[in-house]
Formats: sequence, C-alpha cells, structure tokens
Amino acid sequence: MPTITDSEIERALDNWTRHILQGPAGQSCNNLAIVGIVSHGDVLAQRLVQRLKNAGCHAHYGAIDITLYRDDLSLRGNRPALRSSHLPFSTDDLTLILVDDVLSTGRTARAALEVLWEYGRPARVELHCLADKGGRQLPIQPDYVAFNLSSECPADVRVHLLDIDGKEDITY
Amino acid sequence: MTNTYITNATWALTGEKLDLRMGQNLDETPSEFLNDIPLPGVSAVAPAGQMSIPEGARRIDASGKLLLPALFDMHATISLDGHSKRESIYRAGQAANQGGVWGMLVMPSKGFVFDNAATLDSFSDAVSHRSFAAMVPAGCISENMEGTHQAPYNTLAARGVNILSDGGKMPSDLLMLYRAMKYAAEIGQIFAIRGDVPALTNKTYAHPGTTSYRLGLHGTPACAEEIGIETLIRLAKDAGARLHIQTVSTAEGVAIIRRAKAEGMSNLTAEVALHHLLYTHEDIGDYNTTFKTVPPLRDRSDCEALLIGVKDGTIDCIVSDHTPCLPFAKKQDFISAPQGMAMLDTFLPVLYSELVKTGKLTWNELIRACCITPAQIVAPRDSEDDNPLLAPLLLFNPEDKRTISSEHLHCGTLNNPLLGQVISGSVTLPIS
Amino acid sequence: MNPRKDLITIEALSDEDIHTILESTSAMKDIFTKSVKKVPALKGKSVLTLFYEPSTRTRSSFEVAAHRLSADVTTFTVSTSSVVKGESVHDTIDTLMSMKMDYIIVRHKNSGIPAVIARHCKAAVINAGDGAHAHPSQAFLDAFTIKEKYGDVAGRRVVIIGDILHSRVARSTSTILRRLGAEVAYMGPGPLVPPSAHTGIPRFTNWEQIFNWQPDVIYLLRVQNERIDSPFFPAADYHQAFGVTEERLRRIDDLDMSIMHPGPVNRGVEICDAAMEYRNCLINNQVENGIAARMSILYHLTPQTQSND
Repeated sequence: MPTITDSEIERALDNWTRHILQGPAGQSCNNLAIVGIVSHGDVLAQRLVQRLKNAGCHAHYGAIDITLYRDDLSLRGNRPALRSSHLPFSTDDLTLILVDDVLSTGRTARAALEVLWEYGRPARVELHCLADKGGRQLPIQPDYVAFNLSSECPADVRVHLLDIDGKEDITY
Repeated sequence: MTNTYITNATWALTGEKLDLRMGQNLDETPSEFLNDIPLPGVSAVAPAGQMSIPEGARRIDASGKLLLPALFDMHATISLDGHSKRESIYRAGQAANQGGVWGMLVMPSKGFVFDNAATLDSFSDAVSHRSFAAMVPAGCISENMEGTHQAPYNTLAARGVNILSDGGKMPSDLLMLYRAMKYAAEIGQIFAIRGDVPALTNKTYAHPGTTSYRLGLHGTPACAEEIGIETLIRLAKDAGARLHIQTVSTAEGVAIIRRAKAEGMSNLTAEVALHHLLYTHEDIGDYNTTFKTVPPLRDRSDCEALLIGVKDGTIDCIVSDHTPCLPFAKKQDFISAPQGMAMLDTFLPVLYSELVKTGKLTWNELIRACCITPAQIVAPRDSEDDNPLLAPLLLFNPEDKRTISSEHLHCGTLNNPLLGQVISGSVTLPIS
Repeated sequence: MNPRKDLITIEALSDEDIHTILESTSAMKDIFTKSVKKVPALKGKSVLTLFYEPSTRTRSSFEVAAHRLSADVTTFTVSTSSVVKGESVHDTIDTLMSMKMDYIIVRHKNSGIPAVIARHCKAAVINAGDGAHAHPSQAFLDAFTIKEKYGDVAGRRVVIIGDILHSRVARSTSTILRRLGAEVAYMGPGPLVPPSAHTGIPRFTNWEQIFNWQPDVIYLLRVQNERIDSPFFPAADYHQAFGVTEERLRRIDDLDMSIMHPGPVNRGVEICDAAMEYRNCLINNQVENGIAARMSILYHLTPQTQSND
C-alpha cells in the first residue's frame, strides 16, 4: 500500500502556504479566513494559519462540523457526536479557503458551502484539499490539491495526522 | 362391563408400584382407599405384577408415570371477555384437565354474576354440556357484586351454592358484610374474601419496593391486606360465620392467620395463589403485564413465609387464581392492563417443576393443599355421609419436558408467565 | 452512537450514548448563536407531539428543537373526552402509524405508556414524561446544565428536594447524574421520599441535614398538587419546611451552591422570589439548554420509518 510520509506532508504544507501567499488571497491577509472541515480539515487549517502567520499573514481561523448538513444523514444509522463549529467572525466580504483532508464525491464540500452561507456572504470561497481521491459526483473542483491521487483511482485514502491519530501519513 | 387395567404405576404419595383395575362408573362409592385417599372408579388395587389381567383386556402401561388424585382448584375465574359463556366454560374445562385439575370453584365475575337462580341454572346447564371439568359456582356476597345489598343466600344455597365471594373484592361496606355473615352463617355458607382495605389500595399497582420506585408505580401497602385479614377474622368470629381468606400474599398475613388458628378459630381456612409462591415484584421487569396481579407479587421473603404457611397447615390450599385476560388487554400499559395470570393449563406441571422437584414441597403436602383440603372445604356439609368431592385419578409423567407455546394453552388467552419456558411434566386426565 | 430508535428511560442507554448526546448538546447550543438558527439535519422528517397531559413548556421546547433541525412538527391534540371514554392507547397507535410519523414525542399520566407506543411503532419515540416513571430529556438538560456550570458532572453533589415518590424528574435526573459520577441525595416530606433501600440514594428530611451534606446543587422539584388525588402532606407547610426561604437563600449564597428547578416554579412554595434573582440560579439556563438537549436527542435517534415499508 503506497504511503505518503510525514516529511512529504510537511513539505506539501510549505508549498501550500506559499501557494496561498502568492495567490489573490495572499494579497489581503486581513480579509482571509482558513476554514477547516472537522475532523481533519480543521487541523490542517490550523497548521496553515500558523505558517501564514510566520510569513506575516494574519488570517482568521475557523472550523465547521458539517454533519447536520450531510445529504445522507437520514440514511446513516450511526450518528457520531457533533463537534462545535467555530467561526468567531462574520464571513461577510471575506475570502474563505475551505480546507478538507480528502476530496472525493464533492458532497462534503457542498454541505460545507451550505454551512458557510449561514454565517454571512463571503466575497469568495476557494476549496483546498490535502489529497484528491477522484470520483466526483457533483460539479465541484478544488482550487488547490497537495496530492493528486485521482489518476490512480485508489479504493480508499486515509489521512492520519499527529494531533488526532498519533501518527502522520497518507495511505491509499 | 369391561375394565381397564393400569399396570406398573407409581403411587405419588409413597412411591409404591401398583396395578389397578378401573371400574366404569365414576359415581359409585369408592371401594378402595390408598393411604386414606378414596379411589373412585377403581375396583381393585394390587402391588405391581400381582394382578391377574384377563387376555384381551384394555391395558395402560404406566411405567415411569406417577399416579395421584387429580387436583381441585378453589379459585378460578373463567370468563373470557368478548366470548360466549359456553366458550368460556369449555376453554376453562380443557385447560383444567391439561393442568391436572378435575374440578374447580368458579368465582363470580362480570360474565358470571352468580347472584340469582337463573344464572346458576344456566351455568350448571352449560357446564354439564360443555365442560371437561367439574365446576362449582361460588355465589355472590352482594347483588351484582356491588357491595351494597346482600344476595339471596337461601336461593343460592338451594342451587348448591356453599361458598360466597364477590370475586376477590372485599366489600367496603363492613356493616353489609357483617349482617351478611350473621345471616348466612345460619345456613352454613362460607365467606371467601381477600383481605383488603380498598381505600388504601385504590390506584396502586405493585408491591412498594425497588420495582415500584424504578417503574414509577404506586405501591400497594402490605398493611392493607393485613388489616383486611384481621378485620375479616374479627367479623367472622363475631358473626359465627365460616371464613376462607383468599390469596394471602404477605408474610404478616400468614402470621395473623396462624395466630387466629392457634387461638382456636376452627371456622377459618386460607389459600395462597401459586404465583405468590413463585414470583416476586422483580419479575415485572420492564412493565411485563403478565406479572400484574392483585394482590401484587411481593418480596422473596413473603414467598418463603407463604410456603412455610402451606407446609405447617396455616395456609390450607394452593390455588391457581386462574384469570384469563385477552392478549389485547394485556398489551396495554401496565396501569391500564387487567390483573391476573392464566395458570390452569400448567397448574400441576408447574407445582411439580417449581415446588416438588425442587424439594420445597412433598407430594403429600401438595395433594393435601391442592386436592383433599379444597375439596373438603367446597363439598356441601349438609349431606349425611359428609363425603368430600371425590377426585378421579390421573397419571403424571414427570420426565416429559415441554417448551410452553400458545398451542399448549387451551384456556383461550396467553397471560401465562411460562409461555416460552420449559417445564417438566405432562398430565393424563381422565385416564381412560 | 449505535443506532437507537427510542428514548424511554436513562437506564436503557449505554454510557457511550449518554456521553454522545451530551457532547452533541453543546454543538447544538452553538447553533443558537448563528444568524441562521436552523440546520437541515431533519429536513423532510415529521415530528409529532402527543401530549395527554398539558405541558406548554416541555412541548414548546421540543417543538422549537424540531424546528431548528428543520423538521415538520404536528401537534396531536388528545381530547380529554376520548381518554375519559377509554380510547385505548392501541387505537391511538393505529392512527399514528397511518400518519407515517418519523418521531413521536409523548407525555402521559400513566407510567409505561411511551414504552408501549415504542414497541408498536416504527417511529422513534421520545418519552416526554410518563407518570412517575421517567423524563429523560429533562435529565439530559439537567446534566448538561451542571456540566456547563462546573465543567464536569463527576464528583458533584446534588440534592433533589420535593415529592420524590411521584416525580419522574427525580428518577431520571438522579439516574443520569449518578451514571456520570455525581453523588445524589433526596430530601422532602417523609412519606414522599422512598427509603434508601428502594432507591439506593441517601434520604434526608430536613434542611440541616442538607447543609451538613454540603451539596453543590440544590435541585427543587415542583410541588404538583394537581397530580395527587388525595393530599400526602399539608401543602401550607411546604415553603416553611422544604422551600428555599430567604433565610436559607443566605446560607445557600454563603456556601456558593447553585439552584435548579425543572419549572414552572411556584413562587412562595418551592422558592422565594429573591432566589429567582440569585447569582447561582440556573433555572433560565435549564430552559435554554432544554432546546439544545432535545435537538441532540432528536438528532441521535434513528427512526425505522425510512426502511422500506
């Protein structure tokens, strides 16, 4: 099973940060918010915010739990405990970068957009993810992907982050 | 006249192996006794293997089976809501035979209000046509069992009524009851009443304890039953009436009766329902309405005191307190559901499995409490030879294990707590 | 949390269930702070409130909770006359089944009714109070309120004061708090506090014993004379003997205890006016948390109505 190691993820986050700084969002850090999707996207978002801060760009940090917005909620018997969404700012006129660990069908991203709109009217939203598994079912495309695995059509992509899982890698 | 021979049967009381020759006419005076128990329908008894059996005679090999007199149940309610009286009688009779019961005292109930001659006549008519078991009606104490006006006791007595009861209800008007006792004592009626103080037990549903707390059910205080028993004893003593205390459920209740008997009250008898010997309030579990009874199932210590009462003769009989309740009614919530268990179908097998087999009760004690004493109490006293009702014999196979399913329940309802459980013993009644 | 159709009692829940529902309650409460106070979790689902006993508060709390989860709410009015006429619960259940409801929230004066309905319905049944048996949603909001105030329920001491014998709140709330590691005691008029042997909970009958025991939370039950057919105690005595009087409030304040009450409050009976303004009075928090707790309960139950029937 191919594995992406912790040092590769580390490097990818550096490149990712650089990409944000060089992009249109990086021009106005005051109006930038990095919003991670619980439960791995929020950790990635936190790390990106820290890196941006080291580079002198003070972006807002937010986290959202999209469980209540899932389109398959009533089909799932097993309901996980909810996590609090954390968006302590108005999203009006902000550029939001939505961060998820694995992008696949696009349904999570759809639900996340629905959540964001309940907090205001952002100026612009980008979708960034650590890994793209492919298999989209909705007209949703990422603006940035750290590891594009879609050409290999992996059956399963698992992201482990030190803060949550006690180890750090991506297996697929 | 052809005879049937039973060979190699084991007489339950002593363990002797016997051969018997059965006569045909069950009504004839018994010619044989075994350990003072009359054997109606038996024309000869001999140790196993010592009876000469003619060629071609009808034989029943009873190897491995116990022979004992069939039981008499002093407390059964038989009416099935929504069914005809005939159906109720037929079902109860079938259930009784399967449970080893040859006869029963039928309590007056909503379907059978025994407070007039016409009802009693149509009842005995239906019983003679439809019933597998003997059914003796208990007359009402009060008209329509309402507890206000006395029923016509002489009229009832003329129809063979010997015992009066308002179907487990204690009349709340003690003056009515006191006068009834004085009046009916003159004609030898027995009052069969459950000790109760209705004002204390109204809207209560379980024994006060862990279960009533857990399920939020109001508790039925034991003292209500005990005050009731004490009251009944004093009234009966004063009125000179014969008293039979129904379904005692508490340890203190047993103690009160024991005291009264020790003080020389000879006109006093008492019964316990089988379920009060076996189950406790904990069996209610999560609102299992099958275990809703009146009086309620109490503590284990009460079960033990009741059993001691049976063994020392304080409690004279064990009864089924058979109460069929339709499945629909029992499916309601605990508070709305009717009380009672339908225990006739499994009466003897359960008595055997739970009490005899476990060593808590001997066959002698069982036969005294479930056959001889109840028949003596119920039998009319004014007949000159003072014969108790004569029990036919039955065969009991203690090795026969069954899982009780709805097919085994002939009583017409499913409120038997043993449904789905394995019990030992099957009954052959009548034998031939 | 493993799929669970009904919420009838706290006893029936696993420790994991209890923790999960409490955890989600906190997330649900955050929804109130958004400009859009609504989430689409139960969009298209139907919720029925079936109250055989009047209760505006609990019923509205459930209705608000259901609305915030985007469910459609129907109020089933049970006329007292049909109950008096003896309409059996089964007849009502048949009616409910044909309405194809997903969630049924039921309150009834008879202990055990919600369990009967739950057995015969595919809908998720939530017990909103049955007789003197259980009131699990109240238990969750109480536990959550204590957790919010103290950070953790474990190790806290809570005394529940009032008519314990007839109180479903006392039963459910004491159960959840003990499961979460709190110590619970009961206090009230002697005949209305069952013996410890029945409850497993220490039993007090006066305030001095309470102050000696030093609880963190004083939980007052409502005196419900309307539910008792014949009086168990002289009602005129209650405030003097068992209520939070102004004098007792001063001691409560000194000892920094909190006051809770499931509502509605009888001022001058369980509690004096001043106590309602007391700094550690958590009664309003309880009302607010009630909606969040009920949202969490609705979210975590799984009706069997979507399976192909």
